[in-house]
Amino acid sequence: MAKFIIRRFVSLIPTMFVIITLSFFLIRIAPGGPFSGEKNMPEQVLANMQKKYHMDEPLMNQYLRYFGDVLKGDFGPSYRYKESTVNELIAGAFPVSIALGSMALALSVIFGISVGIISALRQNRWQDYTAMSVAVIGISVPLFVIGPILQLVFSMKLGWLPIAWGSRRFSEVLWGLLPTVTLSLPFFAYIARLSRASILEVLRADYVRTARAKGLSESVVVAKHVLKGALLPVVSYLGPAFAGIITGSLVVESTFAIPGIGRVFVESALNRDYTLIMAEVIIFSLLLVVMNFLVDIVYGFLDPRIAYK
Amino acid sequence: MTEEVILQVKDLKTYFHTDEGIVKAVDGVSFDLHKGETLGIVGESGSGKSVTNLSIINMIPNPPGRIAGGEVLFGGQDLVKLPIGELRKIRGNKISMIFQDPMTSLNPFLRISTQMIETIVLHQGLDKKAAKAKAIEMLKLAGIPAPEKRIDQYPHQFSGGMRQRVMIAMSLSCNPEILIADEPTSALDVTIQAQILDIIRDLTARLGTAVILITHSLGVVAGMCDTLCVMYAGRIVERGETAEVFGEPKHPYTQGLIKSVPRLDKASGDRLFSIRGQPPNVIDLPDCCPFYPRCDKAMDVCKRKYPATKDTGNRHAVACWLYTEAK
Amino acid sequence: MANENNRAVNEFNQQVKPVSLWADAWKRLQKNRMALAGLWITVLFAIVGIAAPVLPIADYQKVETDFINLPPSLKPAGEVALSEASLNIDRIQSRIVEGRNDLLPALEQAKASYDKLKSDLSVKSTANNVYIFGTDYLGRDMLSRTIYGGRISMLIGLIGTITAVLIGVIYGAVSGYLGGRIDNLMMRIVDIMYGLPYMLIVIILMAMFMKEGSSSIFILFIAIALVSWLTQARVVRGQIMSLKNSEFVEAARSMGASTARIIFRHLLPNTLGVIIIFATLSIPSFIMNESFLSFLGLGVSAPLASWGSLVKEGADRMESFPWQLLVPATAMTVFLFAMNFLGDGLRDALDPQSKNRA
Repeated sequence: MAKFIIRRFVSLIPTMFVIITLSFFLIRIAPGGPFSGEKNMPEQVLANMQKKYHMDEPLMNQYLRYFGDVLKGDFGPSYRYKESTVNELIAGAFPVSIALGSMALALSVIFGISVGIISALRQNRWQDYTAMSVAVIGISVPLFVIGPILQLVFSMKLGWLPIAWGSRRFSEVLWGLLPTVTLSLPFFAYIARLSRASILEVLRADYVRTARAKGLSESVVVAKHVLKGALLPVVSYLGPAFAGIITGSLVVESTFAIPGIGRVFVESALNRDYTLIMAEVIIFSLLLVVMNFLVDIVYGFLDPRIAYK
Repeated sequence: MTEEVILQVKDLKTYFHTDEGIVKAVDGVSFDLHKGETLGIVGESGSGKSVTNLSIINMIPNPPGRIAGGEVLFGGQDLVKLPIGELRKIRGNKISMIFQDPMTSLNPFLRISTQMIETIVLHQGLDKKAAKAKAIEMLKLAGIPAPEKRIDQYPHQFSGGMRQRVMIAMSLSCNPEILIADEPTSALDVTIQAQILDIIRDLTARLGTAVILITHSLGVVAGMCDTLCVMYAGRIVERGETAEVFGEPKHPYTQGLIKSVPRLDKASGDRLFSIRGQPPNVIDLPDCCPFYPRCDKAMDVCKRKYPATKDTGNRHAVACWLYTEAK
Repeated sequence: MANENNRAVNEFNQQVKPVSLWADAWKRLQKNRMALAGLWITVLFAIVGIAAPVLPIADYQKVETDFINLPPSLKPAGEVALSEASLNIDRIQSRIVEGRNDLLPALEQAKASYDKLKSDLSVKSTANNVYIFGTDYLGRDMLSRTIYGGRISMLIGLIGTITAVLIGVIYGAVSGYLGGRIDNLMMRIVDIMYGLPYMLIVIILMAMFMKEGSSSIFILFIAIALVSWLTQARVVRGQIMSLKNSEFVEAARSMGASTARIIFRHLLPNTLGVIIIFATLSIPSFIMNESFLSFLGLGVSAPLASWGSLVKEGADRMESFPWQLLVPATAMTVFLFAMNFLGDGLRDALDPQSKNRA
């Protein structure tokens, strides 16, 4: 088991390495970027850059410096906002996104699994059809369509929920409800379908037949024998789900005007603020990689075929 | 084997409703099982042997299958008509079943102890500690070394043969009256097969359990069974005591089966015998003897009507027009 | 044996119908009503998309300043424009009555433009156009913009999928078949690339290499296809690995078939099932990705439209002109639904493990 953990941890490293290297070189070759020598360089930034990246030094040195800086958590000056460093721009936005993302993920897992179980146990009846139809909507309709439509319905026409993020404390829950639900929809849908399919498959397994032949009641069979194995694929899905939440947050934060790093990323992409973009990519990747690592470990603990030898 | 009949299967019919038609997997099967008897059911794939046994404890997936007729009399009750709550008290308790593939028949996510204890606690009302002790004892009887340690392990930590022993121990732990073994050795290595069969024979003899053993191997039948039923296309074509049937097979199919078994004492260079033709498609089978296209002794009446079963004495019965007057 | 109709029968006169894998799958697919509906809808969309240039719809690029932001209607555009203009007058008037006298000049302006509109329309030939789905902020027909947007979106989906499939299949087949260290290496590469947050990279590539104003579809294709072949490769590799050691492959090998021959003639046809399923499900995925980029402003640029860019334009204006969001959103949603149902249906139909479900 310890070997398993170590192996997984070790495989993180090449990915992060590739990403940091990629970001170093992409900044340099980007047209219109700080290093391309074009004229539309804000002077102050140029000065900052030259100081920071020692642009007169050989490339290798610059690379090592960049690497070292990144490892220390310093991403350098922003390209577009001449006064601020990248770190400043990100620091405030980070917790907001974490809150949004984790709540959305939690919602989707809890409801997704519950709905999936109900659907599977009531296969082909009305509960199943309704649930799966809603699930198909969640998967087929893109977030940036669902978001505005939900805004249209719930905020503008019905006036139930506020449109965008605000800082009024007492109604903070309401502010956050619509974006969180929106963000969780596609993942809720996928998890519902996944758990349903997985449970149905396990219900056909030989070992479930054995359990029934032993005289166990159907509820015991499901709760004890079926669920544990059937929900493992959902655990595996958490990795890609997290990645999806990251990209989803770009849309949801933009649509609902939430000051998170997703929105910062979108704006930086439109502004061609390269250093900021790259920093965010590194952070996102790190988050993703760590999350995948954790998911692998959890899966290893849950599946006895891995946990025991 | 005693004279006391503990199970009576009367004219059991199990049909499956598929898109292509009704599959009459079991179409009128009758046999009796006595206390302590080991009954073998032999047949090719698709002959209906597995479905027969699943029908006894009503484990047919519904849809698309259902028991369409007949009775299964056990302990004064007709299991076919028994509500599922009552049936569950019998499953694993008075009638146990083990299946063919030990690799997939145990839940990979639960410890062996969990899987064994739940049956004992459910049916015998013991507490967990006592149940575990009983389970360890059964594992020991089934020949698992160091059972106190191994019981807490997971199925994937056992080999195929060991897993089947666990299945046997688990199924016998509530001391059932009948053990149904559905091709328990088909998925195992030949060397292990003999061991497993020995264990089944010894344990059931010790506990007085009757056994219904399904197999496609005549060799297994010869070594294990007191009586046997030969099934073809969903029906029993011949049944009787093993020695009797092997010595004097009456149905042409049985004769063909026996002849097909390769023998060491024949001269090498002889072609191996196999019954010509294929087993029929049991969807919408017309009313005839299903074996007639492959039968050397087929007569005209065989094409037109299914033969009645004739008891030829000495507990030996056969369904073939050769032995019955066509009316 | 054959009976009178020359169909194969066995000894019992039961018809023996040979059923190939595809015939069996098609039969199963037909029973799935949702999947069939998905199939026909997809075909319908495809036909409309291909036939767009010859359909009797308005030019999707034509700007009509008199007809901006018209709601959907079956009446001729001239009438609709006039009624909108008079509604505008009424709205301003009612606010003035409530006390907003500062709007008096606005009222004059509204009345003047109403009159101007009326006289313009009397000579305009296009006054009789019917805009079933309304118009956008430049007076362009929503129906034709949605259709042309669909063309682009579906094209992107198709080309992206074909690229991803080609690359993925070849990569996966080679890796799966060769096995051993080569396979390990190839899959490590896939793993690392998988770990990269791919949408982010696409966004970066688009941001960096897109010149303002020019058509960036080419870059779009490359960016998306570049990272999408990964799942296909994995799936194909998995399938090939499990088939690799089957008996029919051993038989082929024992008869001297070369590696290439084995891959292409024996293994791949058996993998076609998973390839088709994946391809069908990845078309909607590509369309969503492109729409996402367009929504962020990084996808196709004007005058071209895709469903994504239309949704973005609509979302910006949805409070006043909701149809501008709803029309393209609905079209895209219906198409994605259809493809997803179809893909699901195909997966059920082609999966030989699928037991007889009621």
